[in-house]
Amino acid sequence: MSLVNVTNVTKEFANGEETIRPLDGVSLSIDEGDFISLMGASGSGKSTLLNLIAGIDQVTSGQIEVAGTDITKLSRGKLADWRARHIGYIFQTHNLIPVLTAYENVELPLLLLPMSAAERRKRVEIALEAVDLTSRASHYPRQMSGGQEQRVGIARAIVANPTVVVADEPTGSLDDETTEQILHLLERVNNELGMTLLLVTHEADVGARAKRQIRLEHSHLFEQGKEIKTAQLRMA
Amino acid sequence: MLSQRFLPWDYGVRNLFRRPMRSALTLGGLTIVILLVLVVVGFIRGLEKSLSATGNPHVVLVYSLSSAADVENSSIPARTPSLISASVEGVSRQQGVEFVSPELYLGTRISTANMTEPGMGLVRGVTTTAALVRDHVQLVEGTWPQTGEVMVGRLAHSKLGADEEDLAIGQQVTFDGQTWTISGHFTAAGSAFESEIWAPLADLQTTLKRQDLSLVAVRMDSPDAIADVDLFCRERIDLELKAVSESAYYASLQKHYKPVRMLGWLVVALVAGSGIFAGLNTMYGAVVGRIRELATLQAIGFRRRAILLTLIQEATLLACAGALVACVVGLFLVDGAAVRFTMGAFMLKVDSVGIAIACGVAVLLGFVGALPPAVKAMRMPVVEAIKSI
Repeated sequence: MSLVNVTNVTKEFANGEETIRPLDGVSLSIDEGDFISLMGASGSGKSTLLNLIAGIDQVTSGQIEVAGTDITKLSRGKLADWRARHIGYIFQTHNLIPVLTAYENVELPLLLLPMSAAERRKRVEIALEAVDLTSRASHYPRQMSGGQEQRVGIARAIVANPTVVVADEPTGSLDDETTEQILHLLERVNNELGMTLLLVTHEADVGARAKRQIRLEHSHLFEQGKEIKTAQLRMA
Repeated sequence: MLSQRFLPWDYGVRNLFRRPMRSALTLGGLTIVILLVLVVVGFIRGLEKSLSATGNPHVVLVYSLSSAADVENSSIPARTPSLISASVEGVSRQQGVEFVSPELYLGTRISTANMTEPGMGLVRGVTTTAALVRDHVQLVEGTWPQTGEVMVGRLAHSKLGADEEDLAIGQQVTFDGQTWTISGHFTAAGSAFESEIWAPLADLQTTLKRQDLSLVAVRMDSPDAIADVDLFCRERIDLELKAVSESAYYASLQKHYKPVRMLGWLVVALVAGSGIFAGLNTMYGAVVGRIRELATLQAIGFRRRAILLTLIQEATLLACAGALVACVVGLFLVDGAAVRFTMGAFMLKVDSVGIAIACGVAVLLGFVGALPPAVKAMRMPVVEAIKSI
């Protein structure tokens, strides 16, 4: 049984009188522990697919099952609760809360989970240590560099030990050196913590760092130049 | 089950300091709005208190039937007090003294030593029994007036438009061609008497060349006994008298001021309304600048109502801070400020009711001001909001 099953998903947007359909009958399966990069041209629907899997967007038709839950059937409130437990989201622009310190930003997802303050503190410290930012715990986002902010964003995404970590162009706003640091960190998240990682990028060299690279073109998924089916992905 | 669905309290508080100038300006605006509410409520409360405190249900006023409800126009025979004493049971008495106060009451132009123009004041000619009937009148300084003397209420200077020092003991006031020396000051528990000047009845009658009285105030053993006085007035049609309990008399005056009170409440509503627009403007600005942040919180797993609550918390905190400042300013600057009106003068009252209304308005300002922009922000799809700048 795969961890994530995307079955025949279609997503439409209305743009005036025109209907845009970035995803049309897309199916995909992701196994536990995968590190997948999803690449494609601008407007190919890769971010849309990531957002659907992350539960922050809703399908027009089709089904998305994550760890046994069909998230397309969840109400908005239940979906929010589900995200809190199952999804860690890494944003391109870090999206840290400016009035909260690094520590408090990382702690945010844990406030939604049933745990003691001591347990929260322990988890935040471990997450900050994992991204090597213990010394910056009390710093506000404005007091940190872009790379440090993104590392805090990664710590925030992994702190609740989510089912899937999704990253939408996580290195899009970073220089080469910082990009390398972030990619190394994401590899560690996958290898050492065993977290399932879905990364969306338009940069081939970034995508190449994933264990498996999938390309999305006109609602068709390709791996190593060949169109792949759900069954093939599951076997890989 | 999730353990805690709300954002940390600190998040809302710190957001207020995110744009300090905007928050300070909003705080200033809200403080002024709430202070205005406090002033209007203080005005209404002060007016109501002044008139309600003046009426005593044990006291009956007997005055001329033809004067309608205006005792200034009343003229009754000088023998009325003795007739009432002789004919009516139930008049309070102590050590042989009956609590019957013959009075002459008039509005006249009064000047003090330092006033260039005389001001309109209220003068009541009284005997010593007046203090028995109006037992909340207390001489707080000086002595009861003797011939050629008057005692003044603590708000008489406000009614006249004079300085308080002009009515100090030993100072002189002039009205109806006679100069009077101030012998004492009195209070009357916030009632309308406090804006009056009391002179000895005989002296005033001599000065005014009048033999009659304006009214007789009689204190009865019980409010029920007032019916006996009323019966007396109906039986003695030759005297053309009317008996009204003092509380009913001032209650009827309150009715005259109902439009003023209504206008006051309308002003409260309008001022609060303008405050809501100020709050809306601020919160729209605050929310528009944080669309992406609010979407991020949703992406993390915070429910929309939790985010809505934190936005309302921010606005309400700011409005409550404004209420706090307004109440402090109000207590120091507004409470006790004297206001002139036709019946005399009264003090603006910043009491628990006024403060409760101000705090209620503040909460309303915060809530209503924050709700529309917050709802608008929450309606935006997360995927769109997350990319907004």
